[in-house]
Amino acid sequence: MRNDKSKEIERVKKSWEEEILKPALKKLNVEESPNKYYSPLDLKDFNFLEKVGFPGDYPFTSNIYPSIPPGITPRRGGGYIGSGKGLVRAGSYAGYGTPEDTRDYYSRMASLGSKAGPNLAFDLPTQLGYDSDDPRAFGEVGMTGVAIDTLRDFEIIYEAFKGDMEIDKIASNWTINAPAIIIIAMYAALAEKRGIPLNKLRGTPQNDILKEYIARGNYIFPIKNGLRLTRDTFAYCTQNIPKLNIISICGYHMREAGATAEQVLAFVLSNSSEYIKLGLEAGLDIDVLSHHFTWLSFGGSMNFFNEIALSRAARRMWAKIMRERFKAKDKRSCILRSLMWAQSGEICTTRQRPLNNLCRSILGGIASVLSGGAAEGGMGFPFDEPLGLGHSLEGWQLHLDAARIIGHETKINEVMDPLAGSYYVENLTDKIEKGAWEIMERIEKMGGMKIAIENGFPQREIARSAHEFQKDVESGKRKIVGVNCFTDENEIEVLPQRTAGHPYDPEKRVTAEIRQIADLDKVKKERDNETVEGCLKRLEEAAEDDAVNLVLPVKEAVEAYASVGEICSTLRNVFGTYKAPGIF
Amino acid sequence: MENKNRQIRILVSKVGLDGHDRGIKVIAYALRDAGMEVIYTDLHQTPDQVALAALQEGVDIVGLSILSGSHLSLCKRVWEKMSEYGCSEIPIVLGGVIPETDIPILEKMGIKKVFLPGTSLQVIVEAIRKLVMTSSKLSVS
Repeated sequence: MRNDKSKEIERVKKSWEEEILKPALKKLNVEESPNKYYSPLDLKDFNFLEKVGFPGDYPFTSNIYPSIPPGITPRRGGGYIGSGKGLVRAGSYAGYGTPEDTRDYYSRMASLGSKAGPNLAFDLPTQLGYDSDDPRAFGEVGMTGVAIDTLRDFEIIYEAFKGDMEIDKIASNWTINAPAIIIIAMYAALAEKRGIPLNKLRGTPQNDILKEYIARGNYIFPIKNGLRLTRDTFAYCTQNIPKLNIISICGYHMREAGATAEQVLAFVLSNSSEYIKLGLEAGLDIDVLSHHFTWLSFGGSMNFFNEIALSRAARRMWAKIMRERFKAKDKRSCILRSLMWAQSGEICTTRQRPLNNLCRSILGGIASVLSGGAAEGGMGFPFDEPLGLGHSLEGWQLHLDAARIIGHETKINEVMDPLAGSYYVENLTDKIEKGAWEIMERIEKMGGMKIAIENGFPQREIARSAHEFQKDVESGKRKIVGVNCFTDENEIEVLPQRTAGHPYDPEKRVTAEIRQIADLDKVKKERDNETVEGCLKRLEEAAEDDAVNLVLPVKEAVEAYASVGEICSTLRNVFGTYKAPGIF
Repeated sequence: MENKNRQIRILVSKVGLDGHDRGIKVIAYALRDAGMEVIYTDLHQTPDQVALAALQEGVDIVGLSILSGSHLSLCKRVWEKMSEYGCSEIPIVLGGVIPETDIPILEKMGIKKVFLPGTSLQVIVEAIRKLVMTSSKLSVS
């Protein structure tokens, strides 16, 4: 902005403050205004092409794509993936009980019209590399997701995906991290058994082990071994399953654990840089790597504009990192490939007066569209999320209808990045970006994210932020409706009538552990145990040599029906287990 | 006679495989700020490890955090193990994602208090103080 224009505005601002604002504040009996106001003065050196540009072009601030079909939702069947005609995205996160229970759930969803592939939730024993009959699995089999012990379990789940839903026609999502190598090997083995060429398979394993150490807690092996397994999956998949995404880098869990917007942005981009370095060290091409990277989300909050600004800053920062630090040549390699942008955040939902969570979700949906995403991507889960495992069908109905209303009845998504150029939002985007760079520089000075995690840096930062947040809630500085304000006895609890029945059969969940243990026992008796022993021995030898890619040894074991627990036990013998740093 | 004003020792633990530790960390800091001595365990503790730690650390009270839905099985096991090790008089409190309908069942398993999502830190600190004061461990011999 030209200097003389700027001076003129400054002059008018000063007189506004004296003649209009001050008297108004006096009438309100306050010293400082409860509102801020932004003007061109807050965007003095704004260079549009450098800071924003056009959607789908460097630096991608407005959007990673130049154009988005209206009404698209990332999780529901019916949303088309750009390059695959008629290919339908994986559905909503689901899974429980035994593989049979989950297969039946997905079959039921298909009969209700879903054309989506599975978005598998796994139980904690599976995620932590324990078999269902392990003493540590007690009480936890089939609870947070489906139990997977052997390839047989995968085969059973995918019985729901045949014919016009065959695995070369759908995409799968697997929220699996520490033992992701096993699940990927199982999917490849399954495809080969069905005669489906590996190069037709699509899907996304989450495979983001660094965030497990930082915030999610589902780790098994020490960090360097966890990263070795990640490296092996990168190399194998880019070569053999070229249409599979190789990672879904997550900010969501770190945010839910308490990270601020700047912290989650810094930690995600630092983790992402660490993974790029990992792939490059394995000899993979930067452009091949990045075209297979995806990002889940940065989590969310009720701070509406902050979330939009965060999304814009994130896209711009990653584009810069890929071009300037990693020298990516292809422009498309600079894209932060995510479908989820601004969100309201699960952490903001309340157990009290839970139907209000729908309102919170809707605000997230609006922020999502304004930040370049689809409505549903910003809405989190249905209103009953804080009440227990699984969501009601009523909850999903309200949730989806809200997304549809935002996507189809409003006109919000007809303009891309409508807040571009806003004095406030551009200023806020810069501010969040600056805060995130500062944290990233601290991490770089420590020697990178791997060392930072070993030292406990991101973990303690997150715990501290969570503590600050809670203190603000307790003091009333941070208001949460129905929790620390508007809680007197005149407030009414409103709940919808339950008519549809829970999609998860509660009886099945209760008996899942016993059934799964019996089935595992049967598999162990019927398989060739000598072959299994041989495979595990070869796996152990391979694991001892850091240069060996473990996907094929794992796949061999998986094909012989070695169990998740047996494979992870073998690896634990070689690698040891992770020991977390203290919190104080 | 035990000094009723001595520092409360509390074992704070995530039992089972659940890795969500935001709540328990925030509570650990709050208890420390309230002057208690907090023994914070690693994730993925088995019921046996919790009971052993409670015994070996000589704590006044045990706090568990479970958000995975497995609270009924795990709390029962913790209580059984603590009885086995002869320290079942140590009160246990529980936080996490617990359906209200499970609270009466948990109370029969030695869980003295369940803190549901949204409970204030102040309420938790006070409840812990009260439980320790009235528990048999601090009773005059």
